[in-house]
Amino acid sequence: MSLVLGARSARPWWSLAIVVTFVAAWIPLLPLLEPLIRFDRLSTMLDARTSGLLWRSTWISTLSALLAIAIGWPYAMLCTRWRFPGAGLFRLLMPLPLLMPPLMVAQAWFGLTGMTGISATIFTFGVCYAPLPALLVARSLGKQSAASFESAMLISPRFAILSMLRISLLPALIGGGFAFLFAAGDFAVPDYFATVGDLFHVYAAEIFGHSRNADFTAGATASLPLVLIGLLVLLGNARLLKSQLGYESGLGRHACPTNAKGAAQAILPLLLLALLAVLLIAPIAQIFFETGKQGPLSERTWSDVSRAAFQQGITDGRSSLVRTMQFAGLAGALCLLLAPLWAHLILHCRNRWRSLLVILLCLPLLVPSVALGFGSILMFNQPWLDQFYSSLFLPALLIAGRFLPIAVFILLDIMSRVPDAQEETAELAGCSYLQRLFRYRLGGHTSALWLAAGLVIAFGARELDFAILLPAANSSAAVRYYNALHFARDNFVAAYGIILVALLFLPVMFHAWWQSIRFKD
Amino acid sequence: MRNALAALLTCLFALSCSDSTGSSSSADLVVYCSLDQDLSEGILNDFEQRTGLKIETQFDVERNKTVGLVNRIITEAKNNPRADVYWNNEIAHTLRLKNEGLTSAYKSPSAQGIPASFIDPEGHWTGFAARARVILYRTDRKGPVPNKLDDFLDPAYAAGGAMAQPLTGTTLTNATALSLIRGNQQMLDWFEQAEKAGLSFGSGNADVMRRTCNGDFLWCFTDTDDAAKAIAAGNPVAVRYLEQGDGSLGAMLIPNSISILNSGKNQGAAKQFVDYVLSVEVERRLAFSVSQQIPLHEGVAMPEGVAVPGTDYQVMDVDWAAVAGAISDRATAFQEAFVK
Repeated sequence: MSLVLGARSARPWWSLAIVVTFVAAWIPLLPLLEPLIRFDRLSTMLDARTSGLLWRSTWISTLSALLAIAIGWPYAMLCTRWRFPGAGLFRLLMPLPLLMPPLMVAQAWFGLTGMTGISATIFTFGVCYAPLPALLVARSLGKQSAASFESAMLISPRFAILSMLRISLLPALIGGGFAFLFAAGDFAVPDYFATVGDLFHVYAAEIFGHSRNADFTAGATASLPLVLIGLLVLLGNARLLKSQLGYESGLGRHACPTNAKGAAQAILPLLLLALLAVLLIAPIAQIFFETGKQGPLSERTWSDVSRAAFQQGITDGRSSLVRTMQFAGLAGALCLLLAPLWAHLILHCRNRWRSLLVILLCLPLLVPSVALGFGSILMFNQPWLDQFYSSLFLPALLIAGRFLPIAVFILLDIMSRVPDAQEETAELAGCSYLQRLFRYRLGGHTSALWLAAGLVIAFGARELDFAILLPAANSSAAVRYYNALHFARDNFVAAYGIILVALLFLPVMFHAWWQSIRFKD
Repeated sequence: MRNALAALLTCLFALSCSDSTGSSSSADLVVYCSLDQDLSEGILNDFEQRTGLKIETQFDVERNKTVGLVNRIITEAKNNPRADVYWNNEIAHTLRLKNEGLTSAYKSPSAQGIPASFIDPEGHWTGFAARARVILYRTDRKGPVPNKLDDFLDPAYAAGGAMAQPLTGTTLTNATALSLIRGNQQMLDWFEQAEKAGLSFGSGNADVMRRTCNGDFLWCFTDTDDAAKAIAAGNPVAVRYLEQGDGSLGAMLIPNSISILNSGKNQGAAKQFVDYVLSVEVERRLAFSVSQQIPLHEGVAMPEGVAVPGTDYQVMDVDWAAVAGAISDRATAFQEAFVK
């Protein structure tokens, strides 16, 4: 491991981060290693039926990732590199679809179009995860060198567009890779479309099925093939990510957005509005409509039913929302501390160590959430851990461990742009490690730190699969939503979904507000 | 920055200490509950308020209905048992727990008035608040609606109908009881013939009910609680009881059941809770809930229009002990037949 000046004072903190991550992220994964000592598990793992399910999950996730790229890439290009009325608003709304629970999006699109089956599953995943490539594309295009863009424009506008496509291809692929990972491990969306239409199964459902026979070890090990596929995608992504870390397209100032002229001034906002309608507006509008939807024989009005549904959502669902925000908030707070330490540690490692750490850090993200639940129960449901097992610290730790890589990647990008010399000067001036880390490495980028924690909170709050299994997370808002959906409490589900989404949007909106205040200052 | 971080962490720590929903670290009672969360939760909360006892609840999900929690209780019993009480939304799996030696005997005074056929003679479980298996059909469409189970095999009926796969919950219990009457292989053949005749299979009772309300099917085979929800939501649907008339089997009535687990650490609180859940008050509450569960105590008022078992329709005789003995094997057989 190569360490720069001051690494000695950093070691205790890095060790602390590794110990906490070990408990939060790696201990629940230990049952996955069982096939290494029980080979019979391996032989039953991939029979013809499960191989078929794995293959189906793989191509569903691949098509979902391609759709996410197809939607997210143009959206990001249009609103990042062109200036027209409303471009700022479109940029602001870009990450929000990512925060909507996929199950809610599935419910909305089924209500809107009646679509079911595998195609509906692919569509839902594509829509839900389109912000991943969009955000990365927007970031890379936001840093395009003015000189290279203007040179391209001098040749021809078409050449300028081609240069944008070339610059944003890798980020789009990285975003697609992450979309693949999320789609492959999701059990609830395919399950929903199978309940409202013709039955079909995916590999994540096969893993979830082990909770029915309570063979949690088999459940955990069954996720191994999916983890290996995820690992391949991650390794591909890691190469791409490496080339993107601290990416600046040339030196000097960044290219400004081009003014849209003539018909483009009307066409571009309309195009983006159409994409946003698919990503955000239509699902939310449909869910809102469903808060008061009744059968044709009902004597109650839409507004009466809707009002009652929202009231019920608040009264019945309040305790679950509080519980969810408690453990998700705690997870976010943990990431506020862990993510900078991890990002700093990764920055200070040589290439091979860096790759290893990134892979270890990302492992919990590759494991389907339900398998993480199995692993946690197997490892933590011990008589001497009773209090910890039942407390909200356990789901908080698991969420922090699972989504820590997202927070770390955000900070890694920011921190890699700060020159090492700045930190070394601070050390020579007698600053402690934490001062150097938070004041000099992250000092100018606190909003990125809050964004990282906010995303962990948002992802944690919508986490469903392991919450179904873990007693401490069983009374979460996501589980209540899932249960009510399957028990056909349609009005309540819709109202509760709207409340949940409003809460998830808050951290991102808060971040946007924070940014605007900073820019004003 | 440091101050903001410290303030945030302090707030979150305080929040987590003021845990409002309970955890077994300080819980006086741990309940595993298979009845729908929105129906059972209010009852659990009321019990907490009345007694001051703190309950930790593990709710079931539709996809694993009953089977998941029961298998979990069995697995946990070998390692670190957690549950004090199991509130099942059906009965056969509760008997399975008794057969596994995991329940303890308790004859609740609140069970007085419940017919003896719904109470274990040794006191290991008590049934209450039942549902019947029924046909829910659309009243705005013309087409044949089954009167008996074997109508499901007739393409004229089956093409417009649906039922849940017999993998979990009351559908599994129902299919197991029928397989004891008809024979295991005959029941598997029956399902195969029904599918060939055009019957659709969904994931759960609520799912096929919803699809019937949406117009995908003319009728579905479901439970009275799902049917009550569909009617209350203003859908043009009505209920029909199967197998009525001389010599017919009758409609299957499946009660909730409750039992105390012998590995529980809070036996006193568990008895208090069982007394409360088996009370006339709770049965009335479930009867007037959206699910309109059928009270088993004599003389408990029911909402207008709810049919009374034994009076308004004929009820199937079920040997619950035999069903409990067979349900695990039948579940495996059905799983192999249905999960492809």
